[in-house]
Amino acid sequence: MKTMNQQSRGRFLLDRGASLPLMLPATLLVVVFLVGPFYYMAYTAMTDLSFANPDQKGAFVGLDNFRKLMRDDQIFWSSFWLTIRFVVVSVTIEFVLGFALAWLIWRFIERQRLLTTLLLVPMMLAPVAVGLIWRLLLQGDFGMVTYYLRKLGILSQASAVFSSPGLVMPTIIAIDVWQWTPFVTLIILAGLMSLPKTPFEAATMDGAGPWRQFVDIMLPLLRPIIALVLLLRGIDAFKEFDKVFIMTGGGPGTVSELLSIYAYRVNFKNWNLGYGAAVSFMVYLVVLILCSIFYKAVYWKSSAERQ
Amino acid sequence: MLRYNWSIRKTAATVALGGVLAFGAVVEASAWSLEEAAAPYKGATIRTIGEALPPLEAMKKLAPEFEKRTGITVEIEMYEHSEAVSKVMLDLNSKRGRYDFIIQPHRELGKFVTNGHVEPVEAFMGSAELRDPKFKPEEQLYQGLWKEISWYDGKPYGFPFTALTMYMWYRSDLLSDPKEQEGFKAKYGYDLAPAKDWKQYRDIAEWFTRPDERLYGTALQGKRHEALWYEWLNFLYSHGGDMLEVKAGSECGPVIVNSPQAIAATEYYKSLMAFSPPDTLNYFWDDVMALMQQGTVAELIMWNDATYAVAVDEAASTVVGKMGFDIVPQGEGGKVAQVEGWTYLIPTSSKNKEAAYLFIQWMMDYDQQLHQHLNGGATARPDVYASADVQKLPYAKASMDSNEVAKPKPTLPQSSEMTDILVRELSSYLADEKSAKEALDQSAKEISELLGSCAPMKYPVQ
Repeated sequence: MKTMNQQSRGRFLLDRGASLPLMLPATLLVVVFLVGPFYYMAYTAMTDLSFANPDQKGAFVGLDNFRKLMRDDQIFWSSFWLTIRFVVVSVTIEFVLGFALAWLIWRFIERQRLLTTLLLVPMMLAPVAVGLIWRLLLQGDFGMVTYYLRKLGILSQASAVFSSPGLVMPTIIAIDVWQWTPFVTLIILAGLMSLPKTPFEAATMDGAGPWRQFVDIMLPLLRPIIALVLLLRGIDAFKEFDKVFIMTGGGPGTVSELLSIYAYRVNFKNWNLGYGAAVSFMVYLVVLILCSIFYKAVYWKSSAERQ
Repeated sequence: MLRYNWSIRKTAATVALGGVLAFGAVVEASAWSLEEAAAPYKGATIRTIGEALPPLEAMKKLAPEFEKRTGITVEIEMYEHSEAVSKVMLDLNSKRGRYDFIIQPHRELGKFVTNGHVEPVEAFMGSAELRDPKFKPEEQLYQGLWKEISWYDGKPYGFPFTALTMYMWYRSDLLSDPKEQEGFKAKYGYDLAPAKDWKQYRDIAEWFTRPDERLYGTALQGKRHEALWYEWLNFLYSHGGDMLEVKAGSECGPVIVNSPQAIAATEYYKSLMAFSPPDTLNYFWDDVMALMQQGTVAELIMWNDATYAVAVDEAASTVVGKMGFDIVPQGEGGKVAQVEGWTYLIPTSSKNKEAAYLFIQWMMDYDQQLHQHLNGGATARPDVYASADVQKLPYAKASMDSNEVAKPKPTLPQSSEMTDILVRELSSYLADEKSAKEALDQSAKEISELLGSCAPMKYPVQ
């Protein structure tokens, strides 16, 4: 009875306008830090603003920046496709390894807490620290990893990882996998631990083997978790900046010039902020489109199955 | 028309500066003291920002004396090169006035001046209250360096914090080793000595490349970083090439970065990769300095402000007493050195301009300049180079020789973007993504588009 009274009092307060002040701080934060800057970026992308060139004071140029970006900017496109390749390869490897690791821990290891804590170490490091650590480890003259790679005959004495254009992107992907596979493991493990036992018991009684149970029961039940982890990793990988910037600066040549590094150069090296905002806007747009396609695909499949 | 305007402006500036100097001479007779000049600003705090390197550290050590004499507090923020530049850009554009004076590479000057971010120093120099009569930059500084580093479009905007040039570093102990000399002469047919031209430079690099002994002939700064561009400029200038066909850094003119000389210089530059350690595409100035300190390189082209840490600082270097220095080898372009100065500037948004000027002026004094130079600085005052203490430094002669033949580089508002284009294209060439001609043609095309009608391509791209 008392609970009912409390509920109706709460409802009364909300109806009487208390909801607005309660929502205000969060709304303000969202507006100030997300919505406002986004609209400002969208507006800046339609100007010629430059901190370097005194003739470019921020005059409105419509869609000129986007036109130039789409038609003439070869570096933008090469960075774009490089970023897509980086996202697809690294997230796929992270997912496969992360899933396998989570399944092994869930299936065979009892003291999961200790192991998961240890697994989380690379993920807890700041990306800048990861970049600096690996830069030192792979340094061509005294890097520890370089030393052992040469000792094992994997790397020749006359080459170094970050000075060999063919090795740079695979190495960056390997480091990303090293850093973020534990994140995938953690999320998938949480999903596995929350799975209901009943469907598996029923399937066993019906004679379904482990593979059948994995494909027909475990994967469908884990689909929302998988979608979430792929989405988070995909977005994060698309924005990758710190590690690559510290390790290679986008080089040698344009071998590791991801879109975020290109955007940084346009904005903060050349101070071409109008055009730089257009590049950043495109990054945002691509992430948004990828997310929405991906999310809809998962959601559509789930609802189709429910029907 | 452009040249006409330039010459009118130059004449006007010279007349104005002449007036200022004459005024300075009149007031010289009356006594001037720093304490009195600083009295109105007692209690003020002036903040600056610069690159975290020995010259700034030396300034930090000197500042307490100024604080004691004037009652003005000096706060110094030190950052890595790019960080020091971008923080200033953000502060100037936000007009917050965080920095009362700034210390910046002179390639940024055009951007600051044309956007109205920095004050000309004529007004301060003309003020009887502020101007120390003993401070005569027109006599006390290398005029070429001062005008290159701190002037824009015929007007002074500051004074050189460091006058940086690059020259050749070599291991004198290796080059004077009789065994090495004998072997070298047998192979190349001439005596082993510090390289005077680029053929000798390559021969020496080849001779000393012995990876099994952890010794390499040279070390290129091949990372995709400004360091690559700076290093390459030595080869470009010395081979008779340039980026623009102009006489001053603030001038715009035809793009010649893809000239036959520039292509030859770039191809020669890459040919040295064979004698550089395997990680050469990942090196910038800090890395090659460390290699030299460890004694793993025979010769390279490096900055004068890094010399101290290799040639003098026994705590950091294993090659103290084993180093020699000389001007960069000569090519078609003759004796030449590329100059990059860091300059003191006073932002228009500064809240303590006068106090900042007093500090800068005090720092330009002989005593402060000498102390700074002996502790890793690179002064623009010839009288400091002439001092007995400086003459003892193993790199004093190379510094002076380079200062004499220092060549200007673009300081136009677009110079950062020009640098970025060239760094990208040079790095692409080093990474075998394209040929030297393709890389320089692409650079010429983009630079010409960037600068507009004042910069047509002298060597058109098909």
